[in-house]
Amino acid sequence: MTTFNLPDLGEGLAEAEIVRWHVKVGDSVKVDQPMVAVETAKAVVEVPSPYSGVITKLHGKPGDVVATGAPLVEFELQGAAGTAPAPERGAPAAAKSAPPAKKADPRAPDDSGTVVGSMPTSDDELVETAVAGSDIASPRERVRAAPAVRALAKRLGVDLTTVRGTGRGGLITVDDVMTTSGPTSMHTAATVTALKSSPAPRGAPAEAPPSGEPEKLRGLRRAMHQSMSLARDNVMNCTLFDDADLHAWGKGEDFTIRLLRAIGAAATAVPALNAWYDGENQSRRLMQRVDVAMAVDTPEGLLVPVVRDVARRSAAELRADVDRLKRGARDRTVAPEDLRDFTFMLSNFGMIAGRYATPVVVPPAVAILGAGKLSHDVVAVMGGIEAHLRMPLSLTFDHRCVTGGEAARFLAAVIQDLERAS
Amino acid sequence: MAKVTMIEAINRAHAWELAHDPTVVVLGEDVGVNGGVFRATAGLQEKFGKHRVQDTPLAEGMIAGMSIGMASQGLRPVAEIQFMGFIYPAMDQIANHMARMRHRTRGRITCPVVVRMPHGGGIHAPEHHSESLEAMLAHHPGLRVVCPSSPARAYGLLLAAIRDPDPVMFLEPVRLYRLVRQEVADDGQALPLDVCFRLREGSDVTIVTWGAMTFEVMRAAEQLQKDGVSCEVIDLATISPIDHDTILESVAKTGRLVIVHEAPRNCGVGAEIAATVAEHGLYDLQAPIKRVTGYDTIMPLFRLEYDYIPSVARIVDAVRDTLAE
Repeated sequence: MTTFNLPDLGEGLAEAEIVRWHVKVGDSVKVDQPMVAVETAKAVVEVPSPYSGVITKLHGKPGDVVATGAPLVEFELQGAAGTAPAPERGAPAAAKSAPPAKKADPRAPDDSGTVVGSMPTSDDELVETAVAGSDIASPRERVRAAPAVRALAKRLGVDLTTVRGTGRGGLITVDDVMTTSGPTSMHTAATVTALKSSPAPRGAPAEAPPSGEPEKLRGLRRAMHQSMSLARDNVMNCTLFDDADLHAWGKGEDFTIRLLRAIGAAATAVPALNAWYDGENQSRRLMQRVDVAMAVDTPEGLLVPVVRDVARRSAAELRADVDRLKRGARDRTVAPEDLRDFTFMLSNFGMIAGRYATPVVVPPAVAILGAGKLSHDVVAVMGGIEAHLRMPLSLTFDHRCVTGGEAARFLAAVIQDLERAS
Repeated sequence: MAKVTMIEAINRAHAWELAHDPTVVVLGEDVGVNGGVFRATAGLQEKFGKHRVQDTPLAEGMIAGMSIGMASQGLRPVAEIQFMGFIYPAMDQIANHMARMRHRTRGRITCPVVVRMPHGGGIHAPEHHSESLEAMLAHHPGLRVVCPSSPARAYGLLLAAIRDPDPVMFLEPVRLYRLVRQEVADDGQALPLDVCFRLREGSDVTIVTWGAMTFEVMRAAEQLQKDGVSCEVIDLATISPIDHDTILESVAKTGRLVIVHEAPRNCGVGAEIAATVAEHGLYDLQAPIKRVTGYDTIMPLFRLEYDYIPSVARIVDAVRDTLAE
């Protein structure tokens, strides 16, 4: 029989209160196994067993106050090795093997290392390499850019490691990113990137994912996501609706070319809608030439090639250009320069269906015209009713820099030109 | 070479300097007969005598004041404050006299005092025994603040601190005292003050930390390495003045910075590091700077202690957040 007395738990405290027992009479315990939690004036401390053996008696129950040095636990020890307290083996307890009721020798190998709480202890070896001071390898490809520039590049899909910084010390500026992204439009930049990166062979059936599985946007569709998000975040879209009465038209008029011509005429009359707008700097540039981007629907997504100088070129020239661009768009052979620097946009969705829409302006352009499906409408005329061929028109403008009056006058000019016989 | 714990390394640094410099004097509560509540000075009084290793009353203001007096008369006192939370009574002497002596006397008298104190929590101690007050000390011009994170750095930096002609606040991470052993040559070789130590080289993110948090940070770095994330771990070691060059160079390389400290976040040393990187390294940053810190509340009692101290999981999450940018 061996008695274990409550050890000095530190700073010469005279007593401790039993919080709870972890063991009961008859339990076999091993060295270091927690036996009881006691609370001193300073902390709650776990008291581990100093012996391996069977517990024959517990002195006190939870709530009892035990004096330092008074009996706490009695053991029947196991084997000869158990007759002495086990050597210190890194258990985290203050009380652990401090000799009962006696101030520990400060240099005793079995001291717990602290007078309060419990000291985490181990014999684990720390192996480390510590290099003093600034011996840092120089950066591999160091890109220096302000957070706003990094955010812009991310939004435009521009890889900053490919951008040459023109700022102080090679700092990449907003302009550098914009130049890399393409001189005009975010949409162009994203589209060009998409065209380069996804040469999907035409005609090859895309591998359809099993129904319900998410399909990551790529290529043109991803470019559309980027340019539309940009437009949503920045443009104040406002749309006007009206119809052009084409009753005066003869046979064989070319709708697309008439639309382009009407846009050219309207832009000449109201230059405010043929412009680039830099919202960040609140600066507007009226454009000399009317370059119209035409939305072309392709299986891979939306593509927007540009027809140049629609106000001054002949119908035949425009038609040839439109054919070339449409072919290029469908074959995915359209050149990047045919995708950038537009000053106005046209969506001819009515070729398929839909009378009116709210087309979205893509910056830095400030307006887009949507042409709806033609139909023969009943119209009231002097002296009766007639059926006239009419074209529904939807004009969206960026109300940050275009007034409602300018937009209405522009739409009126489009209608006036369209309604001419030829 | 002996494998020693941090507390043994600190003891050896004291013994080396007491043996080699007759002006060194050790003083503090229980440092003599008792050998220190954590055994940092065990056996020193027996070996070097009561004049070299002096027990003092429980009066921290007196310990600091007496150290200033000794220092200005040519001694090199090494004072122990038993727990960092007990330093407040000594702050008047430390801030108003110790830190200013060189300035006040236009360099004629310096104050070569080391004030050692346990730092941080993690040993289930009661209130006032687990504080991390490095920001308060670092805010005082004229004080050097040092915090080792391994037995080897405890030995080498303590020697450097004792030999330094100006006051050094030497913060000893209490939960590291006996946590690991390390080979430390007892050869009197000091380590440099005022520089960081790079504990791990990496390329994706820089983690700056000090003291006991280096252990959680190194574990987090190992865990992240399994997922292919390469962390550069920098131990600040000297908290004031900060070796900003090393941090800025590392951030220039990785583009990302996470700062980890046990002290509360508000006005912590992490804020100073973040501000300096924002001032001088902004263009290198690829993601916002992250801080993983203790909370802006009193260090809780022992049951919640490890809910307060930043965990490996919190550090891993912060690193992943910066990489998601």
